[in-house]
Amino acid sequence: MFIQQLVNGLILGSTYALIALGYTMVYGIIELINFAHGEIYMFGAFAGLLLVTVLKVPFFLAFFLAMALAALLGMTVEFLAYRPLRHSTRLAALISAIGASIFLQNLALLIMGAQPYTFPSPVEAKVYQTPFFTISRLEIIILIFSFLLMIALTLFIQRTKIGKAMRAVAQDKDTASLMGININQIITVTFAIGSALGAASGVMVGIYFRTVTFSMGLMPGLKGFVAAVLGGIGNIPGAMMGGILLGITETIGAAYISSQYRDAVAFALLIMVLLLKPTGLLGRPVQEKV
Amino acid sequence: MTKRNKKMFMLVGVFMCLAMLLAIAGCDSKKPANGEEGTVVKIGTVGPLTGGAANYGINVQRGVEIAVEEANASGELGDITLELISEDTGGDWSAAANAFTKLIEIDGVDVIVGAVLSSETQAGGPIAMEAKIPTISPSSTAKDLTKGNPYLFRNCLSDEVQAAQLAEYAVKELGLKKFAIFYTNNDYGVSLKDAFEAKARELAEVVAVEVFMDGDESFKPQLTKIKESNPDSLYIAGYYTEAAKIAQQAKEMGLNVQLLGADGLCNVAYIDIGGEAVEGTYATSGFYPDDPTPAVQNFVTAYKNKYGEEPDMFAAQAYDAAWIVINAIKSKGPNPEQIREGIAATKDFPGITGKTSIDEEGDTIKDVIILKVEGGKFTRVR
Repeated sequence: MFIQQLVNGLILGSTYALIALGYTMVYGIIELINFAHGEIYMFGAFAGLLLVTVLKVPFFLAFFLAMALAALLGMTVEFLAYRPLRHSTRLAALISAIGASIFLQNLALLIMGAQPYTFPSPVEAKVYQTPFFTISRLEIIILIFSFLLMIALTLFIQRTKIGKAMRAVAQDKDTASLMGININQIITVTFAIGSALGAASGVMVGIYFRTVTFSMGLMPGLKGFVAAVLGGIGNIPGAMMGGILLGITETIGAAYISSQYRDAVAFALLIMVLLLKPTGLLGRPVQEKV
Repeated sequence: MTKRNKKMFMLVGVFMCLAMLLAIAGCDSKKPANGEEGTVVKIGTVGPLTGGAANYGINVQRGVEIAVEEANASGELGDITLELISEDTGGDWSAAANAFTKLIEIDGVDVIVGAVLSSETQAGGPIAMEAKIPTISPSSTAKDLTKGNPYLFRNCLSDEVQAAQLAEYAVKELGLKKFAIFYTNNDYGVSLKDAFEAKARELAEVVAVEVFMDGDESFKPQLTKIKESNPDSLYIAGYYTEAAKIAQQAKEMGLNVQLLGADGLCNVAYIDIGGEAVEGTYATSGFYPDDPTPAVQNFVTAYKNKYGEEPDMFAAQAYDAAWIVINAIKSKGPNPEQIREGIAATKDFPGITGKTSIDEEGDTIKDVIILKVEGGKFTRVR
């Protein structure tokens, strides 16, 4: 049973990891906690749902289209809600982020209503039995997609010119701009990629749990944030690790302690890690530039 | 307290004293003997017509209205005409107490159908007993509500009864032996769980009891534990969204069990979300609108024509409660004491919510309707 619970946790954790990446990338670049990220995840799920059910787009294509649409939304939010506040206090930007989150959630409520929508299943339900655990085809697909996306992101950041520029901006904005890097462009790209990953998670969770609602982004958004902090906010491998760790802890906690304390276990883990290592698991202490 | 507020406070206090005086004075005044003035029997309804629970109250009122209209139109009560007076509580028990007093003292009703929420009926019941006005609630499920009050009856399906009857059905008719129970952590889930577990332990074996929260998405940790205990059936004490996801995830995990549930599952969304995975589920229900029986279809059609939507369990139970009252008037007579006797004597009333009797405590004895999901639709099996 323990191995089965580990597998359950791994699947849940990989969806958290994708959300956490969006938080951590944005934080790494502009030191803003993008609270609207959970809503972008919700938007991605709705976009995928409508593409599949209304426009009859094939699943595979709908998945990537939803990511693209969410990227557009992410860039729009950045342009309207964060860019005008770039040079004001961090608190102002944070409040603006919360505002954007509330706005997007209510917009979804207004347009789509409060009822849950059902996501049709893209693959035939098939269960694979191994001696230690069972796993469905859908779960395998979710795992593979999540890991492929994470690998692609890592390669993008390590190997491409834009990735290099992103790292430079994260390190020192002013110096990067002196080196001829277009800061605004890099920030836009960061938001686009982060949002696309959030949407990927939203679509997969929508398919996995079969339902899409206007409020679905709230809790996963919070969990994604916890995962990002857990791994060390601003640190990309940390976010992946934090997400998976959180998923597994939650599942094990629900299985062996009590399912009612599932969320409590997640947040207790966060508090413990922050007490022992305030920068998160993989985070490095940041020197405040005075 | 500022001076102005103090003044307001005093004023409100004075008004409250006046209101109380009036209420006491009202109690002393002798009511005219109802029913004897010939042809009009007044039926009051009490329930929330505004506020958060308004849906319940409005549907109850509509159900009663249709029954009253039918009875008046059919002429089966001879020269007696029924008149309906509805009072709004806003879901507040103190407003319910006022509504009972108003209906009895001012409108002079002969019988009350209500209240809707348990707290409302708890507040109004003693007032009705004092005034000797029979009252039948179509929906208040609180435990022991009708005990010690010979004027208070109810026609509804309690959580305990539906859970116990399903456990019995599962063992005796479906031949199930090893039950797992998965319940949502609120009063609905807990009372279903308690009753089902007690009955199932008495008749067979309960191998696992797990809990979830409303709004949960992933149920795999608990389902994994349930699977370990190897049950042959899973009783889901919760609402349709979570239940459908549980069914889905159980199937994904290769947990092949007979699914069982209560009226919280009886919504098309259960089948929409659950799809293939919920096929074959048995669930208890207070009312099933697609039941092909003529009585049910007549009610559903009349309701749809009048209000433009499908009646729910509340409307149906209210309709049955009103008909219990009408039958009481027909068999015993139109004054409150006669109506009380008539309601108390109700036996095997063929209502649209199942065959109904009233026991000596004024509580409902009902053959709970059992539905099965077959071919993507709920069908009635009992």
